[in-house]
Amino acid sequence: MNAGLQLVFVVDDDVSMRNAISRLLCAVGLMVKTFASAHEFLESKLPEVPGCVVLDVKLPDLSGLDLQREMVERGIHIPIVFITGHGDIPMSVQAMKAGAVEFLTKPFRDEDLIDAVRTGIERDRHGRKERAELDELREGLAQLTQREREVMALVVAGLLNKQIALRLGASEKTIKIHRSHVMHKMGADSLAELVRMSQKLGIDMQRS
Amino acid sequence: MNDSHEQELHKLQAELAHVTRVTTVGELTASIAHELNQPLGAIVTNGHACLRLLARENPDIEEARQAVECMIADGLRASEVIKRIRRLLKKSATGKSSHNINNIIHDVLRLIAGELNKNGINVSTRLSNQLPYVLVDRVQIQQVVINLILNSKEAMSGAGWQPRELTIHTGQTATDITVKITDTGVGISPENREQAFEPFFTSKEDGLGLGLSISRTIINAHGGKLWLEPGPDEQGTISQFTLPLSEHVL
Repeated sequence: MNAGLQLVFVVDDDVSMRNAISRLLCAVGLMVKTFASAHEFLESKLPEVPGCVVLDVKLPDLSGLDLQREMVERGIHIPIVFITGHGDIPMSVQAMKAGAVEFLTKPFRDEDLIDAVRTGIERDRHGRKERAELDELREGLAQLTQREREVMALVVAGLLNKQIALRLGASEKTIKIHRSHVMHKMGADSLAELVRMSQKLGIDMQRS
Repeated sequence: MNDSHEQELHKLQAELAHVTRVTTVGELTASIAHELNQPLGAIVTNGHACLRLLARENPDIEEARQAVECMIADGLRASEVIKRIRRLLKKSATGKSSHNINNIIHDVLRLIAGELNKNGINVSTRLSNQLPYVLVDRVQIQQVVINLILNSKEAMSGAGWQPRELTIHTGQTATDITVKITDTGVGISPENREQAFEPFFTSKEDGLGLGLSISRTIINAHGGKLWLEPGPDEQGTISQFTLPLSEHVL
């Protein structure tokens, strides 16, 4: 059901549990990499593919919740599925508030883990796509001259070339040239697409 | 202190440590739960994996076999945990033998004499020397006596509190051995006298509130009774328990 490469990271200090989870996820066709501690996970090089972390709350070096915080600080956006020996409500609330996909109590149902992991991978795939798109848009925006940015802002605000020319004190022909440069550099095929891009860039546009 | 006395004291201290271990059974439970949940979680997950491996169009027999082997290993691991717990609790589970209650009280007093001394508590004993032996689990009865004496000590430990008298009395009725521990402490209000036996009831800041509850459980299990009464002139508390006389014991 999922195209392309994807990876599940299992972080649990208990070797039996770690291998059992790995076996289960492999059995449904997922690729798995296992880690015995939070640091082992943090120190490894994570490939740039959609993934999900299955994380034991109780780790010897850094607790699962601390690792969650550390990942945010390091800009690691991989979604987390927590697993725990004893279901502690305040702990699970904290984990979910910090963006966890799911909080499962051992022993859990296989469907629950598999569903959560797949949800996590999809979330990561989506997040990666969004971030890549935004990066591309920012790159395009960075290529615009100051004048072109002004033109882009007015174009997406719905002004006609004639109105923009009047506003900026330039000829309509010059505005037309600026406008086509904007479309080209941003890689937009239509006005509607340019508007959508500017919405995504939101903050960046206001700054310009 | 001569050598044999010192040896005996060491033995008693080791036993007290054991009593303390049993008292912390609540804490123990949490750690046992974790120790058992790990292998159980792995067994369940391996079981799920195994079913999925076998349900495939081309069943992965080899991987399924490995899953089952891991399940067996984890099952054995779980039973090891249980064996360890059994060993830990074994000493108190050895069961009953015949003892003179006075000896048990003397043992306990020797153990906690330092603690009582430090708190300026005078101890007097009025132990009947005609008592028959009773069939008890010595370590458990020690634990009860320690609990009751330490409660009395707490009740008399307030700054400037006077007097600090602890009296231990043993006697006999037609059917029971009786033990009375009387203190001159702050006492306990009538409404709390029964509540005090509820688990987690405590008047101490750092108390667990299990002492009296566990003590009553132990005495009841021996066929006896444990209760609290106000002390003479409505001062302090008398902790009393009974142990039934056994026909089989001399």
